[in-house]
Amino acid sequence: MKNVSKFTTLTLMALGLLVWGFSQQAAAATKAVNLTRGIVGPVNANSSWGGYSVLDMIPGAGLIPVTSANTTFYIGFTQGTEADVANMVLYTTPRGSLTISAVTPVTFGGASNPSIALSSPSVCPIVEISVNNPCIVRFDPTKIALSALNDYYLVIYFTSDSNNSGIGATVPRFNQSSLIGWFIASDQTRLTVGQSIPAGNSGAQPDFLMYVMSN
Amino acid sequence: MKTFYQLATLVLTSALMIFVLAAGASGQIAETAALANLTEGQGLIASAGNPAWDGMSELVLIPGASLMGASSATTILTLGFTGGSTVDIDNMVLYTTPRNGSMITAIKKLTLNKLSNPSIQLTSKTVCPTQPVSATNPCIIKLDKVTGALSPLDDYYFVIYFTLDPNNQSVTGLGQAQSYGALSGWFLYGDETRIGKDGALPTGNAGQAPFFLLSVTNQ
Repeated sequence: MKNVSKFTTLTLMALGLLVWGFSQQAAAATKAVNLTRGIVGPVNANSSWGGYSVLDMIPGAGLIPVTSANTTFYIGFTQGTEADVANMVLYTTPRGSLTISAVTPVTFGGASNPSIALSSPSVCPIVEISVNNPCIVRFDPTKIALSALNDYYLVIYFTSDSNNSGIGATVPRFNQSSLIGWFIASDQTRLTVGQSIPAGNSGAQPDFLMYVMSN
Repeated sequence: MKTFYQLATLVLTSALMIFVLAAGASGQIAETAALANLTEGQGLIASAGNPAWDGMSELVLIPGASLMGASSATTILTLGFTGGSTVDIDNMVLYTTPRNGSMITAIKKLTLNKLSNPSIQLTSKTVCPTQPVSATNPCIIKLDKVTGALSPLDDYYFVIYFTLDPNNQSVTGLGQAQSYGALSGWFLYGDETRIGKDGALPTGNAGQAPFFLLSVTNQ
């Protein structure tokens, strides 16, 4: 009986060790890491987005060699109470090409046309958002593993309404990120495979897109 | 009894082997063992643009958005000096802020040989093996390791305050490098190492190359 008790104790200890080990791995696997270099340093603001699409390029050539099945986008606001998104997508192209090879939906709270309540502390913990304390909104993880052989374009179209007239996008002050972007006054989120990424990319600083992470 | 020990050994050995194999296969068990950059440090070293550092603080941003995914429970900050004979440091700290924010959420004391106010003898061969120290033979000084992993969800500011004394007038860092990676810095007259938690970082970062912080590594 004594031996059975000792054996049971040892077995439980061993199982405990295994459970601990695997939980550590799971924790490490879900930890957010950068997939590319995001926005660095202080930001400026670019306001009034009603009826505009913002296009942010994530170059494959700028990816950090981190393997992740998911990609999570973080976007920054410097002002506003509510952002009304009509649609948002991620276009994939071969590296250096403008021809769309895949279109992946991007969501926030499960919706690709969310209204983001910037005045809610659960969305923006720091009330009175500003260029000094921007509100960073984390989109739902998108099920896509970024490849260094492709380029990616996150495109968000903001509904033409009064809420979006009052929102401000973060714009980096320093040109130290891998991200670049531009904007167009129409809906550019409905393009399909085989169509071309709209013109206008001049290597400018990206509006809104702050970070591209694994989680 | 003998059977019991054999069984116990078998169970424990099996458990350990499964754990080690599984963790090893996923690449998650070990912290990065080899020397690895945690962010992109400074490349080309120059020596231009140094102000007189006596009474001056340098602030250097280590952006969370630039961390490259190397897992490390410790951080080593390495400084580079290109001129001077003795460097008198009054204090050094590492501030944490939210990413792209300006409110300080945590403060860590930084030390060299366990001192947060060390004097560094740049003319000593034991400190700087290649003499004299210059832009082509910079003296590279590793600070004591900082415990705690850097998080990509935060930004960090390395701040060093140089004592107001004649020694520091001739000290120069590797400033104005043209290839400064992910780091950027600025300098202010006065001690900026004593800002408390919830205090605001001083403004002034214009995205210039830092003068003293050369690299941020895991060891």
